[in-house]
Amino acid sequence: MAEAPVNPLVPMTGRIIKIVEETPDVKTFHVTTEQGKPFTPLPGQLAMLSLLDVGEAMFSITSQGPEHLELAIKRVGMLTDALHEAEEGQMVGIRGPYGNGFPVEDLKGKDILFIGGGIGLAPVRSLINYCIEHREDYGHLWIIYGARSPADLCFKDDLFNNWPRVENCRVDVTVDKGDATWQGHEGFVPAFVEELKPDPAGKVAVTCGPPIMIKFVLQSLEKLGYKDDQIITTLEMRMKCGIGKCGRCNLGSKYVCLDGPVFTLAQLKQLPNEY
Amino acid sequence: MLKIAKDKLPELLKAWAINAAVFVPQEKGGTRVFQPWDGQPSLTLDGGNTLEPPKDLFFPRTETMYRYEVQGKEAGVTEIPTFDGKMVLVGVRSCDARSFLIMDDVFLTKGYVDEFYRRRRENTRVVALACTQNAPTCFCTSFGIDPGRAEGVDVQMWPVADGYLLEPITAAGRELLDQAGELLTATDTAPPPAAVPGLVVDVTGVTEKLQGMFEHPYWTAVSRKCLGCGACTYLCPTCHCFDIQGENRGNSGYKFRCWDSCMFSEYTRMAGGHNPRPSKKERLRNRFLHKLQYFPERYGKFACVGCGRCLDRCPVNVDITRVIREVKEVAL
Repeated sequence: MAEAPVNPLVPMTGRIIKIVEETPDVKTFHVTTEQGKPFTPLPGQLAMLSLLDVGEAMFSITSQGPEHLELAIKRVGMLTDALHEAEEGQMVGIRGPYGNGFPVEDLKGKDILFIGGGIGLAPVRSLINYCIEHREDYGHLWIIYGARSPADLCFKDDLFNNWPRVENCRVDVTVDKGDATWQGHEGFVPAFVEELKPDPAGKVAVTCGPPIMIKFVLQSLEKLGYKDDQIITTLEMRMKCGIGKCGRCNLGSKYVCLDGPVFTLAQLKQLPNEY
Repeated sequence: MLKIAKDKLPELLKAWAINAAVFVPQEKGGTRVFQPWDGQPSLTLDGGNTLEPPKDLFFPRTETMYRYEVQGKEAGVTEIPTFDGKMVLVGVRSCDARSFLIMDDVFLTKGYVDEFYRRRRENTRVVALACTQNAPTCFCTSFGIDPGRAEGVDVQMWPVADGYLLEPITAAGRELLDQAGELLTATDTAPPPAAVPGLVVDVTGVTEKLQGMFEHPYWTAVSRKCLGCGACTYLCPTCHCFDIQGENRGNSGYKFRCWDSCMFSEYTRMAGGHNPRPSKKERLRNRFLHKLQYFPERYGKFACVGCGRCLDRCPVNVDITRVIREVKEVAL
C-alpha cells in the first residue's frame, strides 16, 4: 500500500490504469499508485479524486482489487467532464479513504436487499462485491436496479453475468422506458420494488440513487413493512476537505464526510432534512 | 505579580521579536487589526478589541496547500514546507482567546489533525490583555468568559495607570517573561477590575430550544433583512469554513484554501445543481444553529464568544443576542 502523506489535505499521485465505459455518461476509472493500491477502503467509503490542473471532488469507491480502486463517475460538471476526456495512463491526485462505510459487521448473517438507481449503484456495488467476497457471512442477496433506458444501465457485466451466477443471489433489472432491443421489465424502481414484494423479515435494505428515486423507494419500503432501522442509504453532499473541517457537508451536528455518507433511515430522521 | 512600565513595553516586544514574529493590535487604514509589530517605540495596547479577530494568524484567509505539475499524462505533487516560524501574539482579549480553544476543537480533534493549523498554533505564544473598557456590543460574560482573565493563554496582562501587570500562566509564558531581563519588576499591585459588558443574554437552554426549531417560521422572519454579505462570518473569530481552489498557470499551479461562508448561495450548491440550502432562510438558520446548537452538540461548547463583531458590523443589524432572546421566547 502506498504511504499516505502526513498532511491529510495533500493528495497522493495515482494513475488511471483502466477506463470502463459503462453508459454514454458514466465511466469507471481504475486508479492505482506506483506503490500499489492508494489505500484499502471499507465498502461505502469515499475518495477525493483530482485532475490536479482542473479540480478535486469526492466520489464513492465502487469496488476495489488487490492493487487498485474503482470509481464510477457520471459526467455532471467541469471536473467530471475533464475526467471523461482523460485517457488510460493519466496521472491523478487521490486522497482518502473518507467516511464511515457500510456497517459490514452489523449486516453479518442478514439477508440484504440492494436497491439502486442509475449511478446510485456505484456505492452500493462496493457492498455487493464485499458480500460476494465474504459470501458465507451474509444471507440472501437481492439486487433491484433500474436506469432511465437500457443504454443507461451501469455495470452491465455485473448485472447480467457476474451477480446472477453468485449462489443465493437474485438480480432484477428495470428501465424507465425500454427500446426495441429491451426484453426486460419496464417501469420505475419504486413501483418495481412494490411488484416484487421483498419480504422485510430478516432483511436490511440498502438503497442509493437520485434523490427523487430514494424518496419514493423509502415510501415503497415503508408500505412493504420495512422499519427505519432496516433501511440504509448513502448520501451525496458537497464536500471539500473530507476530514470534517471545511464545514460544508454538515447535516445538523453530523458531517457527511466523517459521520456518513452511510446512514440508516432512523438516523436520518434524527437529522435536519437538508440533503 | 510582575510589572513593566508603559514606555518599556516596546523593549520587551523587541526581545521577543529576536526569535519570533510579534503581532500586536495596531491601526491600519483606520481600523485596529493584529499585525506584525513594526518596532514603533510608542506602542499602546489601549483602544478595545480589534475589528478583525486574530484567527487569520492560525488560519490564514488564503493558504497555499501544495504545488503540482501536469505534463501530458504525467503529474506530480510537491508539498509546501510547513510553517516553521514562531509567533507571539500580544494583546489578545479573553473572547478571542476562547475562540482559539474552539478552533482547536475543529482543527485538531475528531479523527484528523489539520497540519497547516497545528504548525501555526503550536508555534505561537499568546499574551492576553484584560479588558478595562468594552464596547456596547460586547457580551462575552454571557458565555462564561471572564474579560479580566483569558483561558488557554501563556501570559496574562492587565493595563494599569503607568504600565502593565504580567502573570505567566504556562511554562512557555514564563520563558517569555524570562527574556525580559530587567524590564520587569515585582509588584504587589492587584489587577484592576475587569470591564464587565452591559450587554447580557441568558443562553441557558437555547441549544435545547433550537433542537425543536428547525422548521420554525421564525427563520423566515429573521432572514428577511439579511443581505447575505457574509461580513458576520468573516469577522467571527470562530467561523472556520473554507473552500479549496486551484490556480493553474500553464503546466503547473497550486492548490489553496480560502475562507468561505455558509451565507453564500454557492456554498452548498452541488455539481449537479442541487442546493440543500437554496435561500437566505436556510443559510441564516444554519449559521445560528451551527453556533448555538450543532457546535454544542458536537464539541460541547458554544461557537460564539460574545465578541460582538458580527452585530457591530452587520449592515442590517442582525443581532445574535436578539436572536437568542427571541428564540427563547417563540412558541413551539
